Amino acid sequence: MHAESFFFCCCLWKCVCVRRRSTVASLLRRRCANCFDCPCCMHTLSTRATNIPAPLADDPTKTTMKKAYYLACGFCRWTSRDVGMADKSVASGGWQEPENPHAQRISKLIEYYQQLAHREKQERDRKKMARRRQCMPLAFSQHTIHVVEKYGLGTRLQRQRPGAPISALAGLSLKEGEDQKEITIEPAQALDEVEPLPEDCYTRPISLPEVTTLRQRLLQPDFQPAGASQLHPRHKHLLMKRSLRCRKCEHNLSKPEFNPTSIKFKIQLVAVSYIPEVRIMSIPNLRHTKESQVLLTLTNPVENVTHVTLAACEEEDPDDVNSTAKVLVPSKELVLAGKDAAAEYDELAEPQDFQDDPDIVAFRKSNKIGFFIKVIPQKEDDSDVTVTFRMRHDFRNLTAPVRPSEDGGDAAPEAIWLTHHVELRLGPLAP
Amino acid sequence: MPIFDGLGSGGEKTAIVIDLGAAYTKCGFAGETGPRFIIPSEIRKPGQQQATKVVQYNINTEELYAILKEFIHILYFRHLLVNPRDRRVVIIESILCPSHFRETLTKVFFKQFEVPSVLFAPSHLMAIMTLGINSALVMDCGYTETLVLPIYECTPILPAWEALPLGGKAIHKTCFVSDLQRGLQIQEAKFNLEGTAERPAPPPDVDYPLDGEKILHVKGSIRDSVMEILFEQDNEEKSVASMILDALVKCPIDTRKVLSENLVVIGGTAMLPGFLHRLLAEIRLLVEKPKYSDVLASKNFRIHSPPAKPSCTAWLGGAIFGALQDILGSRSVSRDHYNQTGRIPDWCCLSSPPPESFYEAGKTPPPLMKRAYSMEK
Repeated sequence: MHAESFFFCCCLWKCVCVRRRSTVASLLRRRCANCFDCPCCMHTLSTRATNIPAPLADDPTKTTMKKAYYLACGFCRWTSRDVGMADKSVASGGWQEPENPHAQRISKLIEYYQQLAHREKQERDRKKMARRRQCMPLAFSQHTIHVVEKYGLGTRLQRQRPGAPISALAGLSLKEGEDQKEITIEPAQALDEVEPLPEDCYTRPISLPEVTTLRQRLLQPDFQPAGASQLHPRHKHLLMKRSLRCRKCEHNLSKPEFNPTSIKFKIQLVAVSYIPEVRIMSIPNLRHTKESQVLLTLTNPVENVTHVTLAACEEEDPDDVNSTAKVLVPSKELVLAGKDAAAEYDELAEPQDFQDDPDIVAFRKSNKIGFFIKVIPQKEDDSDVTVTFRMRHDFRNLTAPVRPSEDGGDAAPEAIWLTHHVELRLGPLAP
Repeated sequence: MPIFDGLGSGGEKTAIVIDLGAAYTKCGFAGETGPRFIIPSEIRKPGQQQATKVVQYNINTEELYAILKEFIHILYFRHLLVNPRDRRVVIIESILCPSHFRETLTKVFFKQFEVPSVLFAPSHLMAIMTLGINSALVMDCGYTETLVLPIYECTPILPAWEALPLGGKAIHKTCFVSDLQRGLQIQEAKFNLEGTAERPAPPPDVDYPLDGEKILHVKGSIRDSVMEILFEQDNEEKSVASMILDALVKCPIDTRKVLSENLVVIGGTAMLPGFLHRLLAEIRLLVEKPKYSDVLASKNFRIHSPPAKPSCTAWLGGAIFGALQDILGSRSVSRDHYNQTGRIPDWCCLSSPPPESFYEAGKTPPPLMKRAYSMEK
């Protein structure tokens, strides 16, 4: 259900979709192969080049200028030379992360335990087979196997020993035991003495810039260096985008793209393109308790005719918090023509024939009309005059799949009436 | 780091290993040598200055659920960058973790993220997996508390546990642990009512810059004496060092020699410079006291150094275990099982069904206590 895509925010190298196992090493480490983080301030490091004199391969006496690259942080001025990393002769790909010194021991431990685990799995499978044979009582088999597991010593001899269920399959175990090579591991040796603190720890003043902060230390969990001279840069961590699906209808809500530069805005149901837009066109001087006319415009964003009705807010309207003026809105229904993209090029546009009341509708131009509302400011303080009213309009969802009607023709999408709360700030009262 | 991340030996994807500590969380993939990330165990809500701690035991279930959900979400999608549904989870936990916390954590994993299976691994047992030995006395010095648990032949000796709420609630890098002599002198000076005992000269003061503007002046005397709380003996004569001896006393006689020669110390607080040395010295001093010398025959104490930093040792053990794909599946609690029973088996809870009655059905794994702790040789 969820595909993953890794976003290389550092170099926009590429965005790769991972659905199956991928063998790109940097992807598996979830780190960029090219970019590094500064170990001091976690910003991205940049590669800088200098010219250094270096002896020519053929003739050691002559020197020539060669390019050497080092990593530097533009923010905190840390450079790779601070930790003693030698300059490299290639711009990218030469820098390696240091390896954990215990890596070998740990992989040996894993191999050893995997051998034990494999044996346990074989025992389990054998138990299942033995059970099916039904040749021993249940309690006996379960308990004895546990006992043998706990106290057996893991050598091949031991496995053939007591426990009727195992001896019944002794032939099988011998053969298998010979095929495998026994991996043994040296158990760790305990030490008698631990290194004490150096004597000068009590007297030496600490130089704070040399000691790493806890955060810097924890960025490198394998080493956790205490001294700043051991902080090595790490490859930059990636971000991940994942695709999301709605759990109910399986509609794809967001899906990552292969190339971050080709991401398009795909959300289609944006409110702005469906709800008629109310704008303030002109405001006269507003005076306290005096009625004045404000000119508003209403624009229709859809392509079909829209009907809009305005109504004043009721007394107990929970959305009506800020209104500081009474408003009288036109009671008749306003009709808006559909938006016609070709209208501006078409000079022979037919005049639309809407009967407009000149008291209400000031002008009409393609899909826009201007209309008057009457405002009576109620409060005399310095705050802006705010009016609120409710707007009701019809909405047709043209993006929803149209179900074919029974007689074969396309049914028109049904109109849904939506009501919105509109709040307008008209500015301060005239002085 | 393994090159082929997705290919385990059984063809499964590698499991995720998470160690939720009170101060820091270590998370990463099984089979690796160290955790990928060590991040503080807290979440920041927008608009809040203080970060909320994730590991809290006293808040109600819904809040804990919401906090854990957000934290695990950050772990998966900001740091680990994997799909939760693909990979099994190994959680390193403390034996004394409250059941309520465990159950909420399991619920978050199964209901919210729909992971295939979850395994709760005790931190002490995992620590000895990093050494290749079967018995050890493991002490976990964490943030909130220090917990000692002896393990003999891969089975924890549960009656012999010891815990003290002394941990590193402040790991400050300029502090260190004085050696025994100075420590005793400092303690004497503190408790000496007459004031005649002299304090040893404190180390130099440090000016520690905070936020680029203020400077915190840390007096030298604070630097060395603040760690003494770990080693001072309170009214019951318990300190971090005496816990080890008390645990030894509680163990069966035959096991004591092996255990005392195999001490393992894990946990973030143990990373303080000088801690181990002081601990060994304290143990050797305390063992001479009549309380212990009558009971303990062997006075030989040895300490191990695991192949990882002490704060990550338990994690490393979990990673090694998580890499054993042959048995990881059979020992974990799978999502189906959880959906059927609605709870996760716990070692202290007797209501989980015993294995014999369900063995034919083959569905229920036996309680974790019996199976997960005992390991074959």
